[in-house]
Amino acid sequence: MEILIYGAVTSAIYAMLAVGFTLIFGVARVLNLAHGSFYALGAYGAYVLTSIAGLPLWLAAILAVAGVSLFGVLVEKILIRPLRYSQLGVLMITLAIALVVEQSLFLTFGSEYRNVPAFVDTKINMGGVDVAGQRLLTLVVAGVSIAVLYLFIQRTRLGSAILAISQDADAAKYMGIPSDRIFSLVMAISAALAALAGILAGPFLSVQPSMHLLPIVKAFAIVVVGGLGSIPGSILAAFMLGYAETIVAYEISTSWTEIVSVLATLLMLVFRPAGIFGKRTAF
Amino acid sequence: MKRIVKMLALGFCLSHALLHAQESKPLRIGVPTSVQLQVGRDTITAVKMAVDEINKKGGILGRKVEYVTADETENPETGISAIKKLVSDEKVDLLVGGYTSGVTLAQLPHIAASKTIYLGVGAASPSITAKVKNDYDTYKYIFRVGPINAAHQARALVEYISGFVIGELGYKKIAIVGENAKWVQDLVPVLKRGAAEVGADIRMTELFDTQTSDFSPLLAKVKSSGAQYMIVILSHGSSDVFAKQWHDAQVPVPYGGIDVKSMDGDFFNRIGGKSISEVAANFAVRAPLTKKTIPFFDNFKKNSPNYPVYTAFFAYDSIFLYAEAVKRAGSFDTDKVIKELEKTRYEGVAGEITFDESHDVLPGKGKTNLIFVQWQDKGERVVVFPKELRTGNFTLPPWMKK
Repeated sequence: MEILIYGAVTSAIYAMLAVGFTLIFGVARVLNLAHGSFYALGAYGAYVLTSIAGLPLWLAAILAVAGVSLFGVLVEKILIRPLRYSQLGVLMITLAIALVVEQSLFLTFGSEYRNVPAFVDTKINMGGVDVAGQRLLTLVVAGVSIAVLYLFIQRTRLGSAILAISQDADAAKYMGIPSDRIFSLVMAISAALAALAGILAGPFLSVQPSMHLLPIVKAFAIVVVGGLGSIPGSILAAFMLGYAETIVAYEISTSWTEIVSVLATLLMLVFRPAGIFGKRTAF
Repeated sequence: MKRIVKMLALGFCLSHALLHAQESKPLRIGVPTSVQLQVGRDTITAVKMAVDEINKKGGILGRKVEYVTADETENPETGISAIKKLVSDEKVDLLVGGYTSGVTLAQLPHIAASKTIYLGVGAASPSITAKVKNDYDTYKYIFRVGPINAAHQARALVEYISGFVIGELGYKKIAIVGENAKWVQDLVPVLKRGAAEVGADIRMTELFDTQTSDFSPLLAKVKSSGAQYMIVILSHGSSDVFAKQWHDAQVPVPYGGIDVKSMDGDFFNRIGGKSISEVAANFAVRAPLTKKTIPFFDNFKKNSPNYPVYTAFFAYDSIFLYAEAVKRAGSFDTDKVIKELEKTRYEGVAGEITFDESHDVLPGKGKTNLIFVQWQDKGERVVVFPKELRTGNFTLPPWMKK
């Protein structure tokens, strides 16, 4: 039971991170190494707005998510777009962004851990297991936001445009879909999801300048396992990895959890490089 | 003849003037520390306080004192550059600082080569002062003013378990949880053996990776192991997250032990009060340990937004005990000062400071010791052990109170 609940929470955070990461790859073919920075900025944004500016948490959260997604759009427009036709260039520029963000946080806030307040402070007992309310909230919000994203892509005109570009960017362009604007939109969604994950996980995970590393490593592992560019694949892989780590932590030792994702990536690359759902399109 | 006398007199005057100029040149203290961390910022604040006080009283043997800092981070490479900057570019006469043992160990050969006295105030590895014992002539410049070394700390922790956890609280079932680092791997066997000897029933021992960010599985295991008390050994990183997750899941097992981040004066506030009832070992708190303790704490608070952490006590003491050694030696000659430093008996902020033959600070009654301090309501810190220093009673976490 403990494994079931804690595994689900871990998986939900991973899914939020991986979906955004895979979305921007699937649509714009951008392998965004700065994805973890959005997560870090979300958490720090909430920290600054609540502890320093003294805003209520819900407002701080909305502002932080909006701010980070704007930051994502600007990064895409100014820094990534000119280099988009060079895979290597994109890798280098996004890595540079990640490092710049990390160092700026380091210089501004020092290397100490910061406290992001929790939305809910109560403890809830589920089937004999004590779970912090914040974790359940994270699970619910992750589920809802991914579902909304899915409906948005499947049901709206903009969503169809995203789908079209992910299937064939050139053809979509000839059909009159403004691909640049779609890229901005996708970047905004992807950054917002990561920032939201940072705000939700901040109260129970760590908030410090190098916090962007963990999500980028996990997101990478998940999309490799699930298939780069595939959203259902990354959700499935997020759950596989989340549960695998939780099971290892319970049954073997906490010191072994970090190796799970690396091992999963390695095995997948050896035996099925395309991932579980690997194909060229996003869906 | 007259001419010779005149020239001699002139020469004497000149050399005297030169000597005097040398003497009145300010004494420069180099402070290598982790500037980004609380331990580092507090080291600098304490050095500044000591320097100001000494200058107000006319300096050391008539020489004014000034200090210069260098960021050694937690990375050995940067640590070495910091020492090189201080001894070669800044030409300092004394070094006071340090935090991470790995960094200090990497710096030692460079400090020894520069023949500059180094007063360590942060690193706890016994290997640092072991060098002095093994090769005195090369490493005699190294002293550890604080904290007491890791082996002494392990012994103090066993005393806490036998004297307080078992002796007073009556909790025999104990879980040991620590980060997977060299100093913890060395400490845990000593701790387990010691605890078993004093009658503890060790229900589980688990070391986690220092990168771990989710402790819920670990905490759930502690809960289901039936342990009544959890001993922690944490230093590099995860203390904040650990306390938060322990609090949020309302784990029905109180915890305490060595938790370096929890020594920070602002620890309670920066994690939103979630360390409530945690007992963290410390070297001093605002309590009358010596007659200097409370004045130092109050004075420090005027210079800084927070109460000092342990590096501050030892940095402050270091400069005064160096000044005393110089006065006793009657000169700044390094070898003479080292001889006097070895004889140090100085009443510091946390207790009396004396060195053993490896230049390591000695623990014991009235000297520097681990004291066990509990976080209580509103971030107030209360000494619960040892008994003779107690300032308040132990309380359970709010969710365990009946």
